[in-house]
Amino acid sequence: MNVGLEHYLIVSTILFCLGLWGVIVRRNLLIIYMSLELMLNAANLALVAFSRYNNKMDGQVIVFFIITVAAAEVAVGLALIVALYRKKQSAHVEDLTTMKL
Amino acid sequence: MNFSLISLEIAVVILALGVLLGDLWTPAQHKRKLGYAAAAGLLLIFIFSIFARKELFPSGGTEILADYAFGKMFVVDGLATFFKQFFILAALFVIIMAAEFADRIKTGIAEFYSLILMALAGMLFASSANDFVLVFVALELITITFYILNSFQRNRISSLEAGIKYLILGAVSTAFFVFGLAFVFGISGTTNFSELHSLLSTNPVLGTQPLFLAGLFFIFVGLAFKLAAFPMQVWAPDVYQGSPAPATAFLAVGSKAAGIVLLLRVLFIAVPQVALEWTNLLIGIAAITILYGNLCAIPQRNLKRLMGYSSIANAGYLLLGFAALTRTGSSAVLYYLAGYLFTVIAAFTVIVLVTRQQDSDDITVLAGLGRRSPFLAAALTLAMVSLAGIPPLAGFFGKFLLLKAVVEQGASNTAYYVLVGVAIAGVVMSLYYYFGVIRAIYWSRDPNDLSPIAISIPTRLSLGVCMAGMLYLGVNPEPAIQLTKAAVKVLNIGI
Repeated sequence: MNVGLEHYLIVSTILFCLGLWGVIVRRNLLIIYMSLELMLNAANLALVAFSRYNNKMDGQVIVFFIITVAAAEVAVGLALIVALYRKKQSAHVEDLTTMKL
Repeated sequence: MNFSLISLEIAVVILALGVLLGDLWTPAQHKRKLGYAAAAGLLLIFIFSIFARKELFPSGGTEILADYAFGKMFVVDGLATFFKQFFILAALFVIIMAAEFADRIKTGIAEFYSLILMALAGMLFASSANDFVLVFVALELITITFYILNSFQRNRISSLEAGIKYLILGAVSTAFFVFGLAFVFGISGTTNFSELHSLLSTNPVLGTQPLFLAGLFFIFVGLAFKLAAFPMQVWAPDVYQGSPAPATAFLAVGSKAAGIVLLLRVLFIAVPQVALEWTNLLIGIAAITILYGNLCAIPQRNLKRLMGYSSIANAGYLLLGFAALTRTGSSAVLYYLAGYLFTVIAAFTVIVLVTRQQDSDDITVLAGLGRRSPFLAAALTLAMVSLAGIPPLAGFFGKFLLLKAVVEQGASNTAYYVLVGVAIAGVVMSLYYYFGVIRAIYWSRDPNDLSPIAISIPTRLSLGVCMAGMLYLGVNPEPAIQLTKAAVKVLNIGI
């Protein structure tokens, strides 16, 4: 079977939807965070595939930007989750209910 | 390359690093004064930006000029200079507010100032972005900084909770933005706004490709998060309530305006041909955002949460100008934002001062404010009256211009009249909760504590400027309208 651009795009869309699904249904902050990374990597896959099939390197460069920014985001995000864990001994979204209507 | 184009950004970053360094040699009891030093630095940068603008527009902004840098990724034009001055002014007020707030931040107040300046640098880059890659990096510089700013009071669980909620929804919106960017790049082969615009005019078929349109819609969703507009508005109330008040104020003014300028650039500079097809979508989103914000704000008893819903409603009013799809509408958006800056900063400065003694943001802390400090009571009243849209304040004239821009387009699409009806209904609803705040100030049972509230001189000055700004923009709108009209000349849409 010949693997074409559309196959990459379908995989990337499936990854994105899985990530979004994980963010919506999972209850553990770390798992939610992993799902978020999955969503970003779905975009990276699409960018690299487009870049390869359009013969343009820009997409691959953008991926570097995204990876760098995602690393910064993870650093801050994990620090926040650790700070919350120290305070509440829990990393579940059910415990984030101080503020309600 | 002409480095003078990014002189403002360089100056702000140097100031941010300078504050961090200055922290090392400042004794603990004087750390608060670092904020005043940072504010003074920003004031200098603001004055410098006025001269820089004069140099760019010798005849006062009537000409369409654009200077590019970094391979056309970065542009300095009328829109960019307007927003740069807006952001610097907003950060200036917010830093003064943060200095007033310093006693409630246990450690690292210098980092707090420095992060505000870093976020400001991100906003300055965002206002000049002419390429989706720069948009992404600037956007993330703002968002990641705000994750930290929002959860800065680590000893308060609500602040951490606000930070984490902002983190998760912010990361989701980033993912949407990046995924959309991948499709836009993949189908069109470029990420540059100018190139995208010329591609769309030479090849109209591109504007009908479903993947391209889906990508643009995803990018729109990612930017709607910054605005707190539907469908990414759910974070606003919780995050506004939990975050430290100066961070909330900067979120309400700076972050929202960054979303506005990026949306203006993406919709009306990069893909105006597509935006013109999205009339009904923009009308729908504006109407839902206005209704959601105003309806949910009615039962609120927490001041910061009320401001959160009010911020959603205001995002809806700002989207009115986008839905009009004309330069008149866009200039009304800019005018409304200018009024919104003074209004929201005044409101949050008063909130910071009033909530100092009581550890609560409930609306009842305002009881007796009319007697404790007539100055603060007057400032908050003016802010609420302006938000409610009562003449002769800035809020009224801003809403009037936005509605006028929409009504002018009514002939082309009857949905515009429905939108105007919804907006007016929203304004009427908002009267109830804004006047609830004013009632709490003057006509509630007096508390036992009627001690006057001490206000430092810089805060007094910033409140005075905000009140003067609200009145001036409302009474004498003509100079500001000329300024906003000149700023939107670069947009590729009809008048």
